[in-house]
Amino acid sequence: MEVVKRYIHAVTQKLPEQQRADIEKELYGLIEDMVEERVQGGEITQNDVEEVLLELGNPSDLADKYRGSKRYLIGPELFPTYLFVLKIALAAIAIATTVAFVIETLLDPAQIQSELTSYISSIISGFFQGFAWVTIIFFLVDYKGINKSKLGMDSWKLSDLPPLPNQQARIKMSEPIVSITFTIILLVLLTFSIDLFGVSFTRDISIRTIIPIFDGEVFHRFLPFIWIVFAISILSDIMKIIAGRWSIKLITFDIVAIVLHFVLAVFMFADSSIWNPHFMQLIAETDLILNDSDALQTIQTVWSYATQGILSIIGVILGIQLITTIIKYFKIRDFS
Amino acid sequence: MDIKETINGLTQEMRRGTIIIGVLSQLSEPQYGYSLVSILEEKGINIDPGTMYPLLRRLEKQELLESKWDTNETRPRKYYMLSPTGKEVYRQLCLEWQMMTVSLDSLIRGGTDDGSS
Repeated sequence: MEVVKRYIHAVTQKLPEQQRADIEKELYGLIEDMVEERVQGGEITQNDVEEVLLELGNPSDLADKYRGSKRYLIGPELFPTYLFVLKIALAAIAIATTVAFVIETLLDPAQIQSELTSYISSIISGFFQGFAWVTIIFFLVDYKGINKSKLGMDSWKLSDLPPLPNQQARIKMSEPIVSITFTIILLVLLTFSIDLFGVSFTRDISIRTIIPIFDGEVFHRFLPFIWIVFAISILSDIMKIIAGRWSIKLITFDIVAIVLHFVLAVFMFADSSIWNPHFMQLIAETDLILNDSDALQTIQTVWSYATQGILSIIGVILGIQLITTIIKYFKIRDFS
Repeated sequence: MDIKETINGLTQEMRRGTIIIGVLSQLSEPQYGYSLVSILEEKGINIDPGTMYPLLRRLEKQELLESKWDTNETRPRKYYMLSPTGKEVYRQLCLEWQMMTVSLDSLIRGGTDDGSS
């Protein structure tokens, strides 16, 4: 009977391939047995069959029982953390797009209408992006089983007892939250508003311009790498929130993230085409310093040092981070 | 909440733990899923087939049961039987069960002795 086939299909389609045929055969037998018992040797009607199927209940419940577990994208253990991070991410995206919108409006009040439209569309697409990325990251975390047990907290030790406030191992919640917020704000600004990174000039009262530091097109080519590195750093922050305390694995992950940031920075800024090639020309064209060759000279010098300059600054910042993280490593190692 | 509902819920919870021992007790002879449901029903233990069939599979995966398809009858049926491990596990579970009933009996009787009834 077709309804039986459909019922069995509904159960088995949600089960692993290799069990399907067996369970299918078994269910056919079961349903026939149940129908036979119901009619006690009499004629089998559609009604009897349907009642038997209703007795067996919802096919997806039955499939759950066969599977032995319910299926989740993000399991109940991680779900609260997921919601928590999602809220941070969405808030950061809202802040970043709003900041960009306000700056753009201040620069060019006449264009407010088109700016508003692009603000709304970018906040919507930003929310979808943020939602998707956080969900994907958490899905992977859940799927790969990166939870407390995998972060090296599986076997319970006395040293795992909740740390006292002065202990080094505890991760202050504010740390990863601030980090995620800034990463996302930076991510949004770099993705959607790279032209805002520049030198601002006021020509007259109503018009202000920004001379971008970067060549937008070249910069955009680096975006996928930026996304990956930033996603890794968000992942590391999420793991910190989940774990709540430093472990060797978390620190190692952190070090890897820092090194990746540095590699990305070298990769990007070593390529001189990332800088706006018309920067000096645009500066020279502005009325402000048109006749002041000394100022122009200074800017020229500063600009030519920019490449190495920015790399050194990033290097120093990341270097400090790396050193503090390594110090943490040795402190934690003594604890465990 | 209705007191009957509470009692129902708690009874079900208690029963859930006893189902496995009930199933294992009947599998020194090979049985297929639906025959097991009928046998247990006769003896006052109700398990719906939708629970029994997945449970048998799980027990087989845990290597407590062995299975074999019988295709000689009018319709093919999967017969389950205790494995050597299953027999040992069943024996141990029976001991645990007896200990539990003794302890609980003494607790329940102790309760009435205290004059709580």
